[in-house]
Amino acid sequence: MKQLSERIKEAAFGSLSSGQVEMVIGWQKGPLWWQSFPAFITDPGETASLIWDPFSVSNLNKYLLNEVPKKKIALFLKGCDALGFNQLLRDGRVEREKVLLFGIPCDGLVDPARVEATGLSKGLLQVKKEREELVFYYKEGQRKAPARDFYYSKCLSCRYPNPVTCDEMLGEAVPCQPLERFANVSKLEAASLEERFTYWSRHFSRCIRCFACRNVCPACSCRECIFDIAEPRWLGKAKESGETLFYHITRAYHVAGRCVDCGECARICPLGIPLAELNRKFIKDINELYGEYDAGADLDKEAPLLTFKSDDPDVSA
Amino acid sequence: MKRIGVFVCWCGTNIANTVNIEAVTEAAGKMPGVVYAGNYKYMCSEIGQSKIKSAIIREKLDRFVVASCSPRMHESTFRKTAAAAGLNPYLVEIANIREHCSWVHKNKGEATAKAIALIRAAVAKAARDKELWATQIPVEHRALVIGGGIGGIQAALDIADAGFEVDLVERTPSIGGHMAQLDKTFPTLDCSACILTPKMGEAASHPKITLYTYSEVEKVDGYVGNFEATIRKKARSVDLEKCTGCGICWEKCPSRVKSEFDEALSMRKAIYIPFPQAVPNVPVIDRASCRWFTREKCGICRKTCPAGAVNFDQEDEVLQKKYGAIVVATGFDVLDLDDFGEYSYGKHPDVLTSLEFERILNSSGPTGGRLLRPSNQSPPKNVVFIQCVGSRDKSRGKPYCSKICCMYSAKHVILFKEKYPEAQAYVFYIDIRTAGKDFEEFHRRAVEEYGALYLKGSAGKVFPDGDKLLVKGVDSLSGHALEIEADMVVLATAIKAKSDAPQLARLLGISTDTHAFFMEAHPKLRPVEAHTAGIFLAGACQGPKDIPETVSQASGAAAKAIVLLSKENLLSDPCVSEVNESLCTGCLACIKVCPYSAITEKTIEEKIHGKALQRRVAEVNVALCQGCGSCTVSCRPGAVNLKGFTNEQIMAEVDAICL
Repeated sequence: MKQLSERIKEAAFGSLSSGQVEMVIGWQKGPLWWQSFPAFITDPGETASLIWDPFSVSNLNKYLLNEVPKKKIALFLKGCDALGFNQLLRDGRVEREKVLLFGIPCDGLVDPARVEATGLSKGLLQVKKEREELVFYYKEGQRKAPARDFYYSKCLSCRYPNPVTCDEMLGEAVPCQPLERFANVSKLEAASLEERFTYWSRHFSRCIRCFACRNVCPACSCRECIFDIAEPRWLGKAKESGETLFYHITRAYHVAGRCVDCGECARICPLGIPLAELNRKFIKDINELYGEYDAGADLDKEAPLLTFKSDDPDVSA
Repeated sequence: MKRIGVFVCWCGTNIANTVNIEAVTEAAGKMPGVVYAGNYKYMCSEIGQSKIKSAIIREKLDRFVVASCSPRMHESTFRKTAAAAGLNPYLVEIANIREHCSWVHKNKGEATAKAIALIRAAVAKAARDKELWATQIPVEHRALVIGGGIGGIQAALDIADAGFEVDLVERTPSIGGHMAQLDKTFPTLDCSACILTPKMGEAASHPKITLYTYSEVEKVDGYVGNFEATIRKKARSVDLEKCTGCGICWEKCPSRVKSEFDEALSMRKAIYIPFPQAVPNVPVIDRASCRWFTREKCGICRKTCPAGAVNFDQEDEVLQKKYGAIVVATGFDVLDLDDFGEYSYGKHPDVLTSLEFERILNSSGPTGGRLLRPSNQSPPKNVVFIQCVGSRDKSRGKPYCSKICCMYSAKHVILFKEKYPEAQAYVFYIDIRTAGKDFEEFHRRAVEEYGALYLKGSAGKVFPDGDKLLVKGVDSLSGHALEIEADMVVLATAIKAKSDAPQLARLLGISTDTHAFFMEAHPKLRPVEAHTAGIFLAGACQGPKDIPETVSQASGAAAKAIVLLSKENLLSDPCVSEVNESLCTGCLACIKVCPYSAITEKTIEEKIHGKALQRRVAEVNVALCQGCGSCTVSCRPGAVNLKGFTNEQIMAEVDAICL
């Protein structure tokens, strides 16, 4: 991991100092062990502050939407981020020639909540990854544990640990052993209508409509989201269960066929709502109805929900 | 504040019997923005309209709602009323309280409440109506007729006679269609070819008509007045200009294939004209059965052709042409009898479909017009005609009546008895339907003059019995079971839509009914128009029809097309999409879903934080947009809006009903 951190610094310094790019977007360490923040660097002298650690989970590519570069912007991409980047590209929201992409192979990142759940967080100063293990540093010493036990669940079902798109790969490709990603969807499909309704109502009742799921989503890239538009007001401001349901279902429809299954929505949700399952239901249905389609990865395939073929199944019923 | 008027129509008793008009009018008067509410027995009448006009002036109305029948009936009427009183016609909304309310409900209290809710929605929408203006679009003064049967020929001739250019596209090598296969026509018994071939010749020689035989329409883009069609002229392998139609090639051709025109009862060559009077009288090479194309041997036709017209290297030609109007006259198919095993069709050569029987009667047919049993070439003594084979049969065939079978069976009986006066004809029927000029008289002749034995009932089974056929059936009038020894059995096989009708419908953007016949815009009032403006229907492609009906519908379709083609410009509907560029993210999903290719991308430049930024957005071509609204539902940020049906208006309607 340390080696990868060095390569990130080098890549950032090289591209900035050569004038190839005008900004680098990467990660910086915050004051606490679990804090790795997005960093926007324009001065080559500051590139030494860039890091790569088990908490560099933030997807950086949506920051591109806020920037109007004259030259290029350099960006670091994990496997999941690369899928999102491709979708932004497909939706016409970023220009490929305005971005320099450094790919980072990543076999999983650490969920701070899992560290806290094990009690290891007390007095914890720093966490480092050494091969398959995490090393927890304390004042009085260090402890080790298998890294995979602390990974985000989205990382455990990751199918693209190595970026499918980039200009330069930093580091060696890593293997992948994804868990079945539709396991929960299948379980829900088997449940009765009432059970499913109760399941989602219960989850959505906790939603505070912070819109983090939308803000982080690489398929949600509208200039102005319909949920923010005042006239017509599609979504009211009151915390009302019907409106919450409307928001989540509408969002699932809006990203249907474009969701890259990066799992960021569920990862970012402060209330732990399993939002990715909603999108995965759509992915599963699309795969079953129109053939396998992997948004973000299948760049040469036509988007199934935007194409019409005369032998498309009739799903109106 | 808007000044909205509401006019509630009784529609005689249609609405007034189920909806409390006074209560509805009173409620409407209290709705937000409504300054006047009134009612009248027939709002669409002269008096009703003048009430609206005077209210507009007296109450200074700036928009109004009519609560009446479907907007498909009278929206245009009331728009004209608005225009006559100086209001923009798009400031009118219709609340459909007839089809959507009084006709479908019985309880007056509930229907009244629903009518009020519908009016509340319309008032909310009207409050957000904006003035809209129609623009003019030019008309291409040329017609495309698809299908070269009698319907297509008639439509093409009528349009051409009105002075407009017509392209007549026929899939097979010759125009003529099913009518060319027939021997005689009911109820006059004149020879089908004798009355058809002059029309075929006229179509071929008409200076305004271009024939595209052995050709197919592959694609149709555009819209009323401005269609653009892609036509594939399949390689004939014979030069249309050079060929003289001498016939040496098909005499010499060694390959023999079953003749489609003779319903597979005779053989044709690989280079062939389908029938002697074919137009154009130029053969085609059926490449699938030609020795040159399958084995690269032979080439006799090319060697023997005195005109040097045979060209093996000819390729398909693809044309793109513009049309103002399209007439669809693609005809019908005959039902496949695979599911009707009890009649031994396909198992015994003397069991025939009526179209096959027609070919045997025909002097240009496989027997040269001699009516003989196909099994042993002997004259038939007893012939059993079975009607409604597949028609009026929900379980295996088609639930509808094929309409022509009663009459052609009577014709077959007469033609058969003319040839063999001593022989006996039996006809099994469910009902006899002879609704047509001189039809009943014709049928009575078959019974009374020619002594045909009409048996009301069904023939349950036909099976070979020695060199005869045994027909088992029931005479339901007497209740007797019958066994008839027959020499031939003729099955009046159901008419069905062309098997590829759904594909053509999709290509043209028109709709089909449950049996794949093309749908007319209105079954009574617009029977020759398709739902899509500028496309007209003629003949059996719209439903089973006989020749006189097909010809009259073809002339009707032609008249409609002529009305369209004779205009210099059409007024476009201003209810089209528009793009809010500040919301458009440039994902261009709208381009992919637009059925009219009306949306394109364009690049705009805008300043963000002092920097000039170029970005792509969608742009609507208002001349191409048909206002279907597909783009608006594909647009996630709601940047595309349909004028006259904006998201704001629809939401206001929903709120008015729900809140």
